[in-house]
Amino acid sequence: MNTEYAVEMKEICKRFGGVHALKDVNLELRRGEIMGIVGDNGAGKSTLMKILSGAYQADEGEIYIYGEKAVIHNPQDSFNLGISMIYQDLALFNNLDVTKNIFVGRELVRGPFGIFLNKKSMYQKTVNLIRELRVDIKSPKLNVASMSGGQRQMVACARAIAFQSKILIMDEPTAALGVTEANKLLGLIRNLKDMGLSILLITQRIPDVLAIADRVFVLKGGQRQDILEVSRVTLDDVVTMIVKGKAGNGNQIPDVEYRSFG
Amino acid sequence: MAKINLSGLKKYTVMFVLAILMVLFSFTSPYFLTVRNLTNIVTQNTYFIIVAIGLSFVMIGGGIDLSVGYQMSLVGVVTAMLMVVYDVPVWLAVTLGLLLGTILGLLNGLIVSSIKVFPLIATLATSIVFQGISYMISKANTFRSYPDVFLFLTKERFLGMPFDVFLALVLAILVSIVYSETVFGFRLMALGGNEEASRLSGINIRKMKIILYTLCGFFTAIGTMVMISKANTTNSSFGPGTEFIVLTAAIVGGISFMGGEGNIPALIAGVFILAVLGNGMQLAGWGTYAQFVVRGLILLGAVAFDEYQRNTRNARQKRSGPEKLLVKGT
Repeated sequence: MNTEYAVEMKEICKRFGGVHALKDVNLELRRGEIMGIVGDNGAGKSTLMKILSGAYQADEGEIYIYGEKAVIHNPQDSFNLGISMIYQDLALFNNLDVTKNIFVGRELVRGPFGIFLNKKSMYQKTVNLIRELRVDIKSPKLNVASMSGGQRQMVACARAIAFQSKILIMDEPTAALGVTEANKLLGLIRNLKDMGLSILLITQRIPDVLAIADRVFVLKGGQRQDILEVSRVTLDDVVTMIVKGKAGNGNQIPDVEYRSFG
Repeated sequence: MAKINLSGLKKYTVMFVLAILMVLFSFTSPYFLTVRNLTNIVTQNTYFIIVAIGLSFVMIGGGIDLSVGYQMSLVGVVTAMLMVVYDVPVWLAVTLGLLLGTILGLLNGLIVSSIKVFPLIATLATSIVFQGISYMISKANTFRSYPDVFLFLTKERFLGMPFDVFLALVLAILVSIVYSETVFGFRLMALGGNEEASRLSGINIRKMKIILYTLCGFFTAIGTMVMISKANTTNSSFGPGTEFIVLTAAIVGGISFMGGEGNIPALIAGVFILAVLGNGMQLAGWGTYAQFVVRGLILLGAVAFDEYQRNTRNARQKRSGPEKLLVKGT
């Protein structure tokens, strides 16, 4: 048992029909660190994270949260362990306002058997959250349908924070944001780290990872390549590993010379 | 810029349309704006209101139930036969009738949530099944002349209005509170707004859906009691057609075809818009068949309007931020 880690995933396997999406993947997330999860399209980044968030179930493997063996069958189990995932695709509830989006599924209640909503408390808590996170949302009563991509990400973050999640998984949070909004969001993620959260950050934007992550986890073809210390690697090192895999592990080297971007 | 709550705006639009219709018809017929005629409109529509409230659960949750008409047919003949043919006490017959309706709704819920087919098709299919069973049980007979206790519901008056008006009112208020104040109502709006996000929020959507269809069946059964008590007769053809009227009323009343939106006052206004149109056209001598044409066109128009509103909202969203980056809380 090792409680240095917030999350330990051991020998995780996942198949979709004939496709072997994850093969014996091991991942260790330290307490209070930001870990980038990188890899090419189809490398298994999202699948691995969805197993941790309960959206998928692993075929094989074990998960330990703060050193304790965890059983995650559905998103509720994962949430109860203090894990929140902010998804890249699909959506918030466009028909609901900020407050309601934050509290869906975890409503503050009052009255007999807790059947009534405690609207006042939910509103007040949202106001406090917006202030605490110093995010750019004018009113909790705003419909999220009218918000920008960055604001929507922040609503999703607020949702995670509102329920004292200790482990946060973010799936490509900056993917579709402009430079200013992306920087704001990276700032927010750093704030979250300072608040003591352990964060897993799936991304295609390697510079983002190098800017805010402590370590970076590289996946290729459903297999773990390595975990790199960000302070000791360059952009090219990471990109090379994403494309070619860890040297000497038998993966085929592509014929085409890859040029790094950025 | 503060954004106006769309559903709130919709609510008043519906009331406004209703008011305009009433003014228009008061010009075409001197009998329209009489207390007697208006009372008639109200009392003739209580069961539509009750069934529409039931259907609103399903529709706000993003589903649809086309079988309510034949649910009424089946529940109606069974309840009537229990009272008239088998001399079962009224309280027991009504209880069994309500139970039957609830079970029919439960069946719909189980089918829709287990087999992943469109609720439109699934309930169309169960509708035909219910129709068959209804005729098999009634053998196409008509059952009339119910015990006085049963007729009490729609004949006895209080403050000049029959009891069923108050029944509808109480149900409307109750469900209004459920929608706006309870956890269940809140999760219902969430489910209709985004099913996948609801699932990931830890809401048991299968259970929710089963409950919604079951509630629809229960309310439909209550509506059936009012319908056959008012008519003091029924056969298997009583009820079918209701599904179309309440569906149209619901959409006119601002319940989005895609779910996630809706409130009871606007829904009731939607029922009355159809009722006032029918009544006004009747008084103006248009006849029944022209009303079908108008009702069909109204449904088409309401769905088109609903779709148009959704598109403009999505377009606004696209302008303000890339749609790909929709986020979902866990």
